[in-house]
Amino acid sequence: MKKLFAVLLALAMVLGMAACAGGGDDVTNVSVFWYDESDVYLGSVRAALNAELDKLENVEYDNQFAANNQTTQLDQITTAIANGADILVVNVVTSGAVDIAQQVLDKAGDIPVIFFNRAIGADDSEVSFLKDNENVCFIGTDAPEAGHIQGKMIGEYLVANFDTVDLNGDGKISYAMMKGQEGNVEAEYRTQYGVEDANAVLTEAGKSELVYFDASNTDKYQVDPDGAWSSKAGKEYMDTNLVSYNEANDNMIELVICNNDGMAEGVVAALQEKGYNKEGGHHIPVFGVDATDNAKALIAAGAMTGTVKQDAEGMASAIAGTVNAIIGGSSCTAAPATLKDDRFTIDSTNSNKLYVAYAAYTGE
Amino acid sequence: MANPVTKLRNTAEEFKIKSPKDKKRFIVDSILNNALYILMLIFVIYTAIMKPNFLSLGSLANLITQVAAYLPMALGIGGCIVLTGTDLSAGRVMGLTAAVSAVFMQKLDIPNRMFAAMPEPSVPWLLVTLLVVLAIGALIGLVNGFFVAKFSLHPFIVTLSTQLITYGIILWFFNLNDNNGTPFGGLSDVYMDSVGGTMFRLDNIGVPVYVLYAVILTALMWFIWNKTTFGKNMFAVGSNAEAAKVSGVNVFWTTVLVHTLAGACYGYAGFIEGVRSGSVQAGTGMNAECDAIAACVIGGVSFVGGTGKISGIILGVVILRLIFVALTMLGVGSSSLYIIKGAIILCACALDMRKYLVKK
Repeated sequence: MKKLFAVLLALAMVLGMAACAGGGDDVTNVSVFWYDESDVYLGSVRAALNAELDKLENVEYDNQFAANNQTTQLDQITTAIANGADILVVNVVTSGAVDIAQQVLDKAGDIPVIFFNRAIGADDSEVSFLKDNENVCFIGTDAPEAGHIQGKMIGEYLVANFDTVDLNGDGKISYAMMKGQEGNVEAEYRTQYGVEDANAVLTEAGKSELVYFDASNTDKYQVDPDGAWSSKAGKEYMDTNLVSYNEANDNMIELVICNNDGMAEGVVAALQEKGYNKEGGHHIPVFGVDATDNAKALIAAGAMTGTVKQDAEGMASAIAGTVNAIIGGSSCTAAPATLKDDRFTIDSTNSNKLYVAYAAYTGE
Repeated sequence: MANPVTKLRNTAEEFKIKSPKDKKRFIVDSILNNALYILMLIFVIYTAIMKPNFLSLGSLANLITQVAAYLPMALGIGGCIVLTGTDLSAGRVMGLTAAVSAVFMQKLDIPNRMFAAMPEPSVPWLLVTLLVVLAIGALIGLVNGFFVAKFSLHPFIVTLSTQLITYGIILWFFNLNDNNGTPFGGLSDVYMDSVGGTMFRLDNIGVPVYVLYAVILTALMWFIWNKTTFGKNMFAVGSNAEAAKVSGVNVFWTTVLVHTLAGACYGYAGFIEGVRSGSVQAGTGMNAECDAIAACVIGGVSFVGGTGKISGIILGVVILRLIFVALTMLGVGSSSLYIIKGAIILCACALDMRKYLVKK
């Protein structure tokens, strides 16, 4: 009896798991592929995109998650094509090599492909890839823009608060840089411009440039070893840094720049354990990118200083709008231009490349 | 080998003379011992009803392609499990060899070519690349096997260490020549076509050449496991190392060679993975061993040691890919994919141990 029960239970589980599916033939099937389910910013894009796609008539969609594994994603795409997908919306895992995008296109054949968020190639290759292919478009952000905005925001903040930030009063600000992932185009630009643009503002105001806190580290950043842009990495690096760099040794890190809000959260947690960035303690300025809900809450509480808002709703409505235009008969190259919204800009060289604007965020 | 028809007839006759109570037990036992396959069959039928495309030729091509890609690593790791061990370094070895393959086979004219000194990609150079990655995989396997055999360390510990070391080497490799961890792309056509080129198309889905290679590799592994002294020794050491030693089997070298062979399989898997993922990044291959171990366990390669069949491993890989394809088509989220995968592994292991406990 027990055995029978076990078998029935397993059976019920399998059927139950499968029961959430449905389908028909007179509708447009849209398959959306995400690099990872646990990315916070993309989670808010997904919520907004699901809502937008729900509004479109005769559109059925599904979300697939690749667990940060490019091969899994390509397998999922092949499976979706075999399953009769009509439009593919792809958030590539391996950003920075245009070969992946080419593979996706080869698989897709006539099926339109919308890439979004993660850049499909380093600058030049992406431009020519989008030029050479008609069945594809890219919806993302202008990769260097977030870095530029972050750098400018940091520079302006420091000029206004230089003496408070300069804890040991040596006239120089020592900083730490948390990089999300090696080789990711966005991460590279943010790591570069976050410092360069801040330095430009500082120099103009007659202050000395930022100094990386650890002279022996020639990379001048610490990178998430799993390439996951995680708060865990931010926390662990900062914990370790604070052991040898602190006020007792007179070499405290005076500023932390992070590639995203996730890492910034980890850094703030590490600082708070040491008594910084909470009421009554000294505030080490921490900057991120994304403007996630957590980061906004930290900024409101004064634990974090600023972030760059990546517009999740804007991204979602750009994708849904493009999907809708393609269903309406527009080509991939023409679809982005049909969207009328001042949050969007079409790339000057490629009509199939659309940017969603970034904005500085230091609290509402 | 007994004729399956005669075997079935014998079973039927035995069944007839059983008492009603024994009959009932026999039926329940048969259902339970095959529960996994029965469930899979129901699952396939259900998916096919919900998504008719699931049974299309294109879908079959997709499934075969995926099985061919995941099989090599499972075939390698199977040997380690037969020895009551495991291998956690497999995924990273695959990542490293994929990276090496990619760097060896990059196009001449891309701007961020890793090593300018590499010759122009050609078929002979491709074979050299294959040999190099097989050697790298085998070398890491050799290290694994040596430490397991020489110091009687549990393979879990040894391969956990080599996993970390290999990942360190991968990260170092990706930072050479001011590469700063950028993915290795621009793979040459020779490499892409000889491994991933389409042999033929079913519906609109191409079947790549590496499916053929997987068939050859499987045949080779079947031969090694079943027809060589080395294969027989492997099972002997797996079921009882002491007894094997007494009867004259060289336990040290058998253990070392099983791991070395496994390493070479991962090297081959990396060679394929480079093409499959289109460009290689530092994270490539992470956790790939989990799928391979799961496939072996589902296919009846027992952690108790000394039991396992190549056909079982194939079945295990097929079941795992089947779940992946079916759930992707049904559009269920990855959360349920993980839950079902976990449940199936647990279920398979429990059933496996049950058989073993009954025997005991």
